Amino acid sequence: MGPSEIDFSERDGLPVVHWKLFADLRERAGAETVAVGDPRTVGEALDVLLAEHDALRERVLDADGDVVADVNVLKNGANVFDAGDGLDEPVGEGDELALFPPVSGG
Amino acid sequence: MSDLNLDATQLDRYSRHVIMDEVGPGGQAALLDASVLVVGAGGLGAPVLQYLAAAGVGRLGIADDDVVERSNLQRQVVHADADVGRPKVDSAREFVEALNPDVAVDTHQTRVDRDTVSDLVDDHDVVVDASDNFATRYLLNDACVLADTPLCHGAIYKFEGQATTVPAGGAPCYRCLFPEPPEPGTVPDCATTGVLGVLPGTIGAVQATEAVKLVTGIGDPLHGRMFTYDAADLSADEVPYRANPDCPVCGDDPVDSVASQTYQETCVVSE
Repeated sequence: MGPSEIDFSERDGLPVVHWKLFADLRERAGAETVAVGDPRTVGEALDVLLAEHDALRERVLDADGDVVADVNVLKNGANVFDAGDGLDEPVGEGDELALFPPVSGG
Repeated sequence: MSDLNLDATQLDRYSRHVIMDEVGPGGQAALLDASVLVVGAGGLGAPVLQYLAAAGVGRLGIADDDVVERSNLQRQVVHADADVGRPKVDSAREFVEALNPDVAVDTHQTRVDRDTVSDLVDDHDVVVDASDNFATRYLLNDACVLADTPLCHGAIYKFEGQATTVPAGGAPCYRCLFPEPPEPGTVPDCATTGVLGVLPGTIGAVQATEAVKLVTGIGDPLHGRMFTYDAADLSADEVPYRANPDCPVCGDDPVDSVASQTYQETCVVSE
Protein backbone atom coordinates (compact mmCIF):
# COMPACT_ATOMS: atom_id res chain seq x y z
CA MET A 1 0.00 0.00 0.00
CA GLY A 2 1.39 3.38 -1.01
CA PRO A 3 1.20 6.54 1.04
CA SER A 4 -1.72 7.77 -1.10
CA GLU A 5 -3.93 4.88 -0.02
CA ILE A 6 -5.81 4.63 3.25
CA ASP A 7 -7.24 1.31 4.41
CA PHE A 8 -10.25 1.34 6.70
CA SER A 9 -10.93 -2.38 6.44
CA GLU A 10 -10.15 -3.12 10.05
CA ARG A 11 -10.93 -6.81 10.08
CA ASP A 12 -8.87 -9.12 7.94
CA GLY A 13 -10.70 -11.55 5.70
CA LEU A 14 -13.85 -9.49 5.14
CA PRO A 15 -14.84 -8.38 1.65
CA VAL A 16 -13.29 -5.04 0.72
CA VAL A 17 -14.43 -2.43 -1.77
CA HIS A 18 -12.40 0.56 -2.83
CA TRP A 19 -13.41 4.15 -3.35
CA LYS A 20 -11.55 6.00 -6.06
CA LEU A 21 -11.55 9.77 -5.69
CA PHE A 22 -10.99 12.33 -8.44
CA ALA A 23 -9.70 15.93 -8.58
CA ASP A 24 -10.51 18.15 -5.59
CA LEU A 25 -12.21 15.27 -3.77
CA ARG A 26 -8.86 13.49 -3.71
CA GLU A 27 -7.32 16.42 -1.86
CA ARG A 28 -10.15 16.72 0.61
CA ALA A 29 -9.72 13.06 1.54
CA GLY A 30 -5.94 13.17 1.42
CA ALA A 31 -5.97 9.95 -0.59
CA GLU A 32 -6.65 8.71 -4.11
CA THR A 33 -8.21 5.47 -2.94
CA VAL A 34 -9.88 4.46 0.31
CA ALA A 35 -10.68 0.84 1.18
CA VAL A 36 -13.90 0.08 3.04
CA GLY A 37 -14.51 -3.25 4.77
CA ASP A 38 -17.69 -5.23 4.20
CA PRO A 39 -20.30 -2.67 3.15
CA ARG A 40 -23.58 -4.11 1.85
CA THR A 41 -24.59 -1.11 -0.24
CA VAL A 42 -23.08 1.92 -1.92
CA GLY A 43 -24.76 4.06 0.73
CA GLU A 44 -23.07 2.14 3.55
CA ALA A 45 -19.73 2.45 1.83
CA LEU A 46 -20.30 6.18 1.40
CA ASP A 47 -21.23 6.59 5.07
CA VAL A 48 -17.99 4.89 6.14
CA LEU A 49 -15.93 6.98 3.74
CA LEU A 50 -17.45 10.30 4.77
CA ALA A 51 -17.42 9.50 8.49
CA GLU A 52 -13.65 9.44 8.31
CA HIS A 53 -13.25 12.56 6.15
CA ASP A 54 -15.04 15.71 7.33
CA ALA A 55 -13.72 17.93 4.54
CA LEU A 56 -14.89 15.45 1.94
CA ARG A 57 -18.33 15.18 3.54
CA GLU A 58 -18.76 18.96 3.39
CA ARG A 59 -18.08 18.88 -0.35
CA VAL A 60 -20.11 15.79 -1.25
CA LEU A 61 -23.29 16.17 0.82
CA ASP A 62 -25.68 19.12 0.79
CA ALA A 63 -27.49 20.56 3.82
CA ASP A 64 -30.14 17.82 3.54
CA GLY A 65 -27.54 15.07 3.51
CA ASP A 66 -28.06 14.30 -0.18
CA VAL A 67 -25.19 13.89 -2.64
CA VAL A 68 -24.66 17.22 -4.44
CA ALA A 69 -25.63 17.44 -8.12
CA ASP A 70 -22.12 17.81 -9.49
CA VAL A 71 -20.63 14.71 -7.87
CA ASN A 72 -21.30 11.42 -9.67
CA VAL A 73 -21.39 8.25 -7.58
CA LEU A 74 -20.04 5.42 -9.72
CA LYS A 75 -19.94 1.65 -9.24
CA ASN A 76 -17.51 -0.02 -11.61
CA GLY A 77 -17.64 3.11 -13.76
CA ALA A 78 -21.43 3.49 -14.03
CA ASN A 79 -23.58 6.06 -12.26
CA VAL A 80 -25.52 4.20 -9.54
CA PHE A 81 -28.50 6.52 -9.92
CA ASP A 82 -28.73 5.86 -13.68
CA ALA A 83 -27.69 2.24 -13.92
CA GLY A 84 -28.40 0.89 -10.45
CA ASP A 85 -30.49 1.28 -7.32
CA GLY A 86 -28.86 4.51 -6.22
CA LEU A 87 -27.33 4.40 -2.76
CA ASP A 88 -29.18 1.10 -2.16
CA GLU A 89 -27.14 -0.50 -4.94
CA PRO A 90 -25.48 -3.63 -3.49
CA VAL A 91 -21.70 -3.89 -3.46
CA GLY A 92 -19.34 -6.79 -2.97
CA GLU A 93 -15.74 -7.88 -3.00
CA GLY A 94 -13.80 -6.34 -5.84
CA ASP A 95 -16.30 -3.63 -6.78
CA GLU A 96 -14.72 -0.24 -7.40
CA LEU A 97 -16.70 2.77 -6.29
CA ALA A 98 -15.84 6.30 -7.33
CA LEU A 99 -16.78 9.91 -6.62
CA PHE A 100 -16.40 11.88 -9.84
CA PRO A 101 -16.73 15.70 -9.96
CA PRO A 102 -16.27 18.13 -12.87
CA VAL A 103 -13.09 20.18 -13.25
CA SER A 104 -12.88 23.56 -14.94
CA GLY A 105 -9.24 24.41 -15.62
CA GLY A 106 -8.07 25.24 -19.09
CA MET B 1 -10.66 10.87 -56.19
CA SER B 2 -8.00 13.29 -57.40
CA ASP B 3 -10.15 16.39 -57.85
CA LEU B 4 -12.06 17.92 -54.93
CA ASN B 5 -10.32 21.26 -55.35
CA LEU B 6 -7.01 20.55 -53.60
CA ASP B 7 -4.22 22.39 -55.37
CA ALA B 8 -0.71 20.97 -55.79
CA THR B 9 0.62 22.66 -52.66
CA GLN B 10 -2.29 21.36 -50.62
CA LEU B 11 -1.88 17.84 -51.98
CA ASP B 12 1.70 18.06 -50.74
CA ARG B 13 0.96 19.70 -47.37
CA TYR B 14 -1.83 17.27 -46.53
CA SER B 15 -0.37 14.21 -48.30
CA ARG B 16 -0.35 12.13 -45.11
CA HIS B 17 -4.09 12.71 -44.80
CA VAL B 18 -4.83 12.37 -48.50
CA ILE B 19 -3.18 8.96 -48.79
CA MET B 20 -5.27 7.53 -45.94
CA ASP B 21 -8.37 5.72 -47.07
CA GLU B 22 -10.23 7.01 -44.01
CA VAL B 23 -9.49 10.67 -44.76
CA GLY B 24 -8.54 10.97 -48.42
CA PRO B 25 -9.02 14.05 -50.56
CA GLY B 26 -12.68 14.17 -49.54
CA GLY B 27 -11.90 14.31 -45.84
CA GLN B 28 -9.19 16.90 -46.39
CA ALA B 29 -11.57 19.01 -48.46
CA ALA B 30 -14.09 18.80 -45.61
CA LEU B 31 -11.44 20.10 -43.20
CA LEU B 32 -10.57 22.97 -45.52
CA ASP B 33 -14.25 23.80 -45.79
CA ALA B 34 -14.89 23.66 -42.01
CA SER B 35 -15.14 26.45 -39.45
CA VAL B 36 -14.27 25.74 -35.81
CA LEU B 37 -14.63 28.12 -32.87
CA VAL B 38 -12.02 27.71 -30.14
CA VAL B 39 -13.06 29.39 -26.92
CA GLY B 40 -9.94 30.08 -24.87
CA ALA B 41 -6.41 30.52 -26.23
CA GLY B 42 -4.72 29.19 -23.10
CA GLY B 43 -3.39 25.80 -22.04
CA LEU B 44 -6.04 23.76 -23.86
CA GLY B 45 -6.62 26.23 -26.69
CA ALA B 46 -2.96 26.29 -27.69
CA PRO B 47 -2.65 22.64 -28.79
CA VAL B 48 -6.18 22.70 -30.19
CA LEU B 49 -5.24 25.63 -32.42
CA GLN B 50 -1.91 24.08 -33.38
CA TYR B 51 -3.39 20.81 -34.57
CA LEU B 52 -6.51 22.25 -36.18
CA ALA B 53 -4.36 24.78 -38.05
CA ALA B 54 -1.93 22.09 -39.14
CA ALA B 55 -4.84 19.90 -40.24
CA GLY B 56 -6.04 22.69 -42.50
CA VAL B 57 -9.33 23.62 -40.85
CA GLY B 58 -10.31 26.41 -43.22
CA ARG B 59 -11.59 28.93 -40.71
CA LEU B 60 -10.64 29.16 -37.06
CA GLY B 61 -12.44 31.49 -34.67
CA ILE B 62 -10.43 32.33 -31.55
CA ALA B 63 -12.20 33.90 -28.57
CA ASP B 64 -10.28 35.08 -25.50
CA ASP B 65 -10.28 38.32 -23.54
CA ASP B 66 -6.96 37.83 -21.73
CA VAL B 67 -3.46 39.10 -22.33
CA VAL B 68 -0.42 36.84 -22.18
CA GLU B 69 1.24 36.60 -18.76
CA ARG B 70 4.65 35.13 -18.16
CA SER B 71 3.12 32.44 -15.93
CA ASN B 72 1.13 31.22 -18.96
CA LEU B 73 4.23 30.26 -20.93
CA GLN B 74 4.86 27.05 -18.94
CA ARG B 75 1.96 25.43 -20.86
CA GLN B 76 0.36 27.83 -23.39
CA VAL B 77 2.64 26.95 -26.28
CA VAL B 78 1.31 29.30 -28.98
CA HIS B 79 2.52 32.33 -27.02
CA ALA B 80 6.18 33.38 -26.79
CA ASP B 81 8.17 35.34 -24.23
CA ALA B 82 7.96 38.46 -26.38
CA ASP B 83 4.13 38.20 -26.33
CA VAL B 84 3.83 38.93 -22.60
CA GLY B 85 1.31 41.77 -22.25
CA ARG B 86 -0.20 41.29 -25.72
CA PRO B 87 -3.74 40.01 -26.31
CA LYS B 88 -3.72 36.22 -26.51
CA VAL B 89 -5.87 36.30 -29.63
CA ASP B 90 -3.15 38.29 -31.42
CA SER B 91 -0.27 35.93 -30.67
CA ALA B 92 -2.52 32.92 -31.32
CA ARG B 93 -3.48 34.36 -34.70
CA GLU B 94 0.16 34.93 -35.62
CA PHE B 95 1.05 31.36 -34.67
CA VAL B 96 -1.73 29.93 -36.81
CA GLU B 97 -1.00 32.14 -39.80
CA ALA B 98 2.70 31.30 -39.67
CA LEU B 99 1.93 27.58 -39.54
CA ASN B 100 -0.61 27.36 -42.32
CA PRO B 101 -1.63 30.07 -44.82
CA ASP B 102 -4.69 27.99 -45.78
CA VAL B 103 -6.38 28.92 -42.51
CA ALA B 104 -8.45 32.09 -42.19
CA VAL B 105 -8.45 33.36 -38.60
CA ASP B 106 -11.20 35.40 -36.93
CA THR B 107 -10.25 36.78 -33.53
CA HIS B 108 -12.71 37.82 -30.85
CA GLN B 109 -11.03 39.62 -27.96
CA THR B 110 -14.07 39.37 -25.77
CA ARG B 111 -15.39 37.39 -22.87
CA VAL B 112 -17.92 34.90 -24.18
CA ASP B 113 -21.13 35.71 -22.31
CA ARG B 114 -24.87 35.43 -22.75
CA ASP B 115 -24.92 38.39 -25.12
CA THR B 116 -22.12 37.26 -27.42
CA VAL B 117 -22.27 33.47 -27.33
CA SER B 118 -25.08 32.83 -29.79
CA ASP B 119 -23.60 34.85 -32.66
CA LEU B 120 -20.22 33.19 -32.13
CA VAL B 121 -21.61 29.65 -31.99
CA ASP B 122 -24.02 30.11 -34.90
CA ASP B 123 -21.18 31.09 -37.20
CA HIS B 124 -19.24 27.80 -36.80
CA ASP B 125 -19.62 24.10 -37.58
CA VAL B 126 -17.94 22.86 -34.39
CA VAL B 127 -17.10 24.54 -31.06
CA VAL B 128 -14.15 23.57 -28.86
CA ASP B 129 -14.45 24.48 -25.18
CA ALA B 130 -10.93 25.39 -24.08
CA SER B 131 -12.12 27.84 -21.45
CA ASP B 132 -10.97 27.92 -17.84
CA ASN B 133 -14.11 28.43 -15.77
CA PHE B 134 -17.44 26.76 -15.06
CA ALA B 135 -19.56 29.78 -16.08
CA THR B 136 -18.22 29.72 -19.65
CA ARG B 137 -18.35 25.93 -19.81
CA TYR B 138 -22.04 25.70 -18.89
CA LEU B 139 -22.86 28.65 -21.14
CA LEU B 140 -21.11 27.01 -24.12
CA ASN B 141 -22.80 23.68 -23.46
CA ASP B 142 -26.22 25.29 -23.35
CA ALA B 143 -25.66 27.57 -26.36
CA CYS B 144 -24.27 24.74 -28.49
CA VAL B 145 -27.11 22.36 -27.62
CA LEU B 146 -29.70 25.02 -28.43
CA ALA B 147 -27.93 25.86 -31.72
CA ASP B 148 -27.53 22.18 -32.74
CA THR B 149 -23.77 22.68 -32.90
CA PRO B 150 -21.45 19.92 -31.63
CA LEU B 151 -19.10 20.78 -28.76
CA CYS B 152 -15.71 19.27 -27.91
CA HIS B 153 -15.29 19.71 -24.16
CA GLY B 154 -12.00 19.48 -22.28
CA ALA B 155 -10.96 20.52 -18.77
CA ILE B 156 -7.95 20.04 -16.52
CA TYR B 157 -7.02 20.03 -12.84
CA LYS B 158 -3.44 19.57 -11.63
CA PHE B 159 -2.61 16.10 -13.08
CA GLU B 160 -6.12 15.13 -14.20
CA GLY B 161 -8.04 15.83 -17.38
CA GLN B 162 -11.55 15.27 -18.71
CA ALA B 163 -12.82 15.32 -22.30
CA THR B 164 -16.17 14.55 -23.90
CA THR B 165 -18.04 15.48 -27.06
CA VAL B 166 -21.60 16.78 -26.99
CA PRO B 167 -23.42 15.87 -30.21
CA ALA B 168 -25.50 18.46 -32.05
CA GLY B 169 -28.64 18.96 -29.99
CA GLY B 170 -27.20 17.16 -26.97
CA ALA B 171 -28.98 14.14 -25.50
CA PRO B 172 -26.67 13.66 -23.83
CA CYS B 173 -24.93 16.94 -23.01
CA TYR B 174 -22.46 18.06 -20.35
CA ARG B 175 -25.35 18.93 -18.01
CA CYS B 176 -26.67 15.36 -18.24
CA LEU B 177 -23.45 14.24 -16.52
CA PHE B 178 -22.93 17.29 -14.29
CA PRO B 179 -26.34 19.01 -13.92
CA GLU B 180 -24.86 21.96 -12.04
CA PRO B 181 -21.37 23.24 -11.30
CA PRO B 182 -19.96 22.94 -7.77
CA GLU B 183 -21.28 25.37 -5.21
CA PRO B 184 -19.30 28.64 -5.19
CA GLY B 185 -16.36 28.46 -2.85
CA THR B 186 -16.24 24.67 -2.64
CA VAL B 187 -13.54 24.06 -5.26
CA PRO B 188 -10.11 25.67 -5.41
CA ASP B 189 -9.81 28.89 -7.38
CA CYS B 190 -8.62 28.13 -10.90
CA ALA B 191 -5.98 30.84 -10.96
CA THR B 192 -4.32 29.57 -7.80
CA THR B 193 -4.39 25.86 -8.67
CA GLY B 194 -1.23 24.48 -10.18
CA VAL B 195 -1.26 22.39 -13.30
CA LEU B 196 1.34 20.12 -14.86
CA GLY B 197 2.40 22.08 -17.94
CA VAL B 198 2.15 19.21 -20.39
CA LEU B 199 -1.31 18.11 -19.19
CA PRO B 200 -3.32 20.55 -21.36
CA GLY B 201 -1.24 19.35 -24.31
CA THR B 202 -2.65 15.86 -23.84
CA ILE B 203 -6.25 16.90 -23.25
CA GLY B 204 -6.19 19.61 -25.94
CA ALA B 205 -4.89 17.04 -28.42
CA VAL B 206 -7.87 14.83 -27.54
CA GLN B 207 -10.23 17.75 -28.17
CA ALA B 208 -8.57 18.50 -31.53
CA THR B 209 -8.86 14.79 -32.39
CA GLU B 210 -12.56 14.92 -31.70
CA ALA B 211 -13.04 18.07 -33.79
CA VAL B 212 -11.22 16.50 -36.75
CA LYS B 213 -13.33 13.35 -36.39
CA LEU B 214 -16.56 15.34 -36.35
CA VAL B 215 -15.60 17.30 -39.47
CA THR B 216 -14.47 14.24 -41.42
CA GLY B 217 -17.01 11.76 -40.05
CA ILE B 218 -14.26 9.36 -38.99
CA GLY B 219 -14.52 7.00 -36.02
CA ASP B 220 -16.62 7.15 -32.87
CA PRO B 221 -16.74 10.47 -31.03
CA LEU B 222 -16.83 10.68 -27.24
CA HIS B 223 -20.63 10.86 -27.25
CA GLY B 224 -22.07 9.86 -23.88
CA ARG B 225 -18.57 9.07 -22.63
CA MET B 226 -16.38 11.23 -20.39
CA PHE B 227 -12.74 10.38 -21.09
CA THR B 228 -10.62 10.77 -17.97
CA TYR B 229 -6.86 10.97 -17.82
CA ASP B 230 -4.38 11.01 -14.95
CA ALA B 231 -0.91 12.13 -15.90
CA ALA B 232 0.56 11.16 -12.51
CA ASP B 233 0.02 7.43 -13.01
CA LEU B 234 -0.47 7.70 -16.79
CA SER B 235 -3.86 6.06 -16.76
CA ALA B 236 -6.99 6.70 -18.78
CA ASP B 237 -10.58 5.62 -18.31
CA GLU B 238 -14.04 6.66 -19.32
CA VAL B 239 -17.30 7.31 -17.50
CA PRO B 240 -20.44 6.59 -19.54
CA TYR B 241 -23.41 8.93 -19.17
CA ARG B 242 -26.96 9.04 -20.48
CA ALA B 243 -29.35 11.69 -21.71
CA ASN B 244 -31.28 13.10 -18.77
CA PRO B 245 -34.99 13.63 -19.62
CA ASP B 246 -35.04 16.38 -16.98
CA CYS B 247 -32.02 18.18 -18.49
CA PRO B 248 -32.96 21.87 -18.83
CA VAL B 249 -31.27 22.23 -22.24
CA CYS B 250 -31.58 18.85 -24.00
CA GLY B 251 -34.34 17.14 -22.00
CA ASP B 252 -38.06 16.83 -22.62
CA ASP B 253 -38.86 20.44 -21.70
CA PRO B 254 -35.86 22.55 -22.69
CA VAL B 255 -35.35 26.27 -22.18
CA ASP B 256 -35.65 28.49 -25.25
CA SER B 257 -32.36 30.34 -24.93
CA VAL B 258 -29.41 30.99 -22.67
CA ALA B 259 -31.08 34.31 -21.79
CA SER B 260 -33.25 32.39 -19.33
CA GLN B 261 -30.23 31.17 -17.38
CA THR B 262 -27.74 32.91 -15.12
CA TYR B 263 -24.09 31.95 -15.39
CA GLN B 264 -21.62 32.94 -12.73
CA GLU B 265 -18.34 31.45 -11.70
CA THR B 266 -19.02 28.01 -10.16
CA CYS B 267 -22.71 28.80 -9.97
CA VAL B 268 -25.73 28.71 -12.25
CA VAL B 269 -29.18 29.66 -11.06
CA SER B 270 -32.40 29.61 -13.05
CA GLU B 271 -34.06 33.01 -13.12
